[in-house]
Amino acid sequence: MIRLNDVTKIYKGETRAIDGVSLNIDKGEFVFLVGESGSGKSTMLRLVTAEEPATAGQVHVAGKDLSRINSWRVPYLRRNIGSVFQDFKLLPQKTVYENVAFALEVIGRPKNIVTTQVPAILELVGLSHKQKSFPDELSGGEQQRVSIARAFVNRPLILLADEPTGNLDPNTAQEIMRLLDRINRTGTTVVMATHDQTIVDQMRRRVVALRAGQVVRDEQQGVYG
Amino acid sequence: MRGFVGRAAYFARETWINVRRNLTLTVAAILTVAVGVMLVGLGLMARYASANALGRWQGGVQFEIFLEPNIAGGQIDALGQELRNHPDIERIQFITQDQAFSLLEDMLSDEPELLAEISVESLPPSYRVVPRDAEGELIESLAAQFRERPGVYSVETGRQQVDAIREWFNSFRWIVLLMSIVLAAASAMLIFNMIRVAMFARRREIEVMKLVGATNSFIRLPFILEGMLHGLAGGLVGAAAAGVLRNHVEELFGRSEILAFFRSFTVTSGQFTTATLATVLMGVIVGALGSAFAAGRFLDV
Repeated sequence: MIRLNDVTKIYKGETRAIDGVSLNIDKGEFVFLVGESGSGKSTMLRLVTAEEPATAGQVHVAGKDLSRINSWRVPYLRRNIGSVFQDFKLLPQKTVYENVAFALEVIGRPKNIVTTQVPAILELVGLSHKQKSFPDELSGGEQQRVSIARAFVNRPLILLADEPTGNLDPNTAQEIMRLLDRINRTGTTVVMATHDQTIVDQMRRRVVALRAGQVVRDEQQGVYG
Repeated sequence: MRGFVGRAAYFARETWINVRRNLTLTVAAILTVAVGVMLVGLGLMARYASANALGRWQGGVQFEIFLEPNIAGGQIDALGQELRNHPDIERIQFITQDQAFSLLEDMLSDEPELLAEISVESLPPSYRVVPRDAEGELIESLAAQFRERPGVYSVETGRQQVDAIREWFNSFRWIVLLMSIVLAAASAMLIFNMIRVAMFARRREIEVMKLVGATNSFIRLPFILEGMLHGLAGGLVGAAAAGVLRNHVEELFGRSEILAFFRSFTVTSGQFTTATLATVLMGVIVGALGSAFAAGRFLDV
């Protein structure tokens, strides 16, 4: 599903954010990317969404070589990838329902799809009763669940999460992990960059550890460090 | 079909939100477009008007031989005889000093002081000559034949006037064209900036749109529509202003005796429609260009 082949990413000619990484993530896997700040986790996610081009090597996502893909096809690639962030990136002037519906509307999905899919996904993340609330009326955990609903409403093949529990207390973080686990069980590949040792140790999934842009450890059912 | 309607509603809603967000900038841009395209419209109408007027004169043009005011009666008759017998001349009309004075009286009816300075005896009598053929070359050669005759003060051909007017209108058109290019560029830049501000204001939305896989054209379209809407509004205002100005000028030509000469500078309704449509279209194009450049340039969030 995601394959990195000797990938290097150099920012502004000096900083080596990713340094010769080769990595293979299969369909349906759940992978934690761990490592200190600046170890290259976020850059790796940005390479997968084609927000950044690789300086050297190939990034394959859902069978496409991103170095050869036409720039106008990038949006279609991104429809296969849902993204979740530490800061949620919700639109404050839109309600919960509108935030989620927005993701479908802007890729031109017809209205009848929107009106059936959005309530279903809000049900899945347990926020049916908050459809009409605005983001600033919700707790951090609820906001992150909205953001996951938005990322997943189009049923992407891949879900990328960059520190999704970074702003949340431990109990709320557990909730979010249960949700991501459920999404993974539907066959969606989940890649999550995190600092959260408790969660990684508890979930016992594949762990890829990065240091200074290189993979220093890759274990099935691994722990944080 | 339902998808299309939904999408059109989406674009309409988004465009309207953008327009409302920057009302002062919007008004400034619309007015600049309006002035710019108004000049385009006026330039176009001036072009039609001069072509119409020149065409009319070139059809039935005549020239006028002015005689010395103190010319002897015999010389007048001899010249008249010669003109009448000339093979290239169709007909002539003699204008006496009295007639010349009454023509002047008509022209200067608003300015009696000026008229008081002029005596009947100081005015030249003249022959108005209509040649058989209204060809410029022929008129010039006829004029040259009579210019050096004793008793002839001067010969004024229509061609000289036509050329002078054509030249005047040409330079007028160039000035107008230049000004409208400058203003069109200014309005395109204003719209460019306005769209940039609008995109900056909505950068979070644009970021999310890119994230979930909205195509670039989908993200850009509301902004380009917004620019075109401003261009259209400016074009309509400019066209209306040009129309009002045209009526005003034509009325002025009709009323003033001094400007009576310009009465033949009229625009047909067909030409007026063409000029108006061109004016509005110009506004839309300016708006589309300014916003398309901005949308193309500032999409990378």
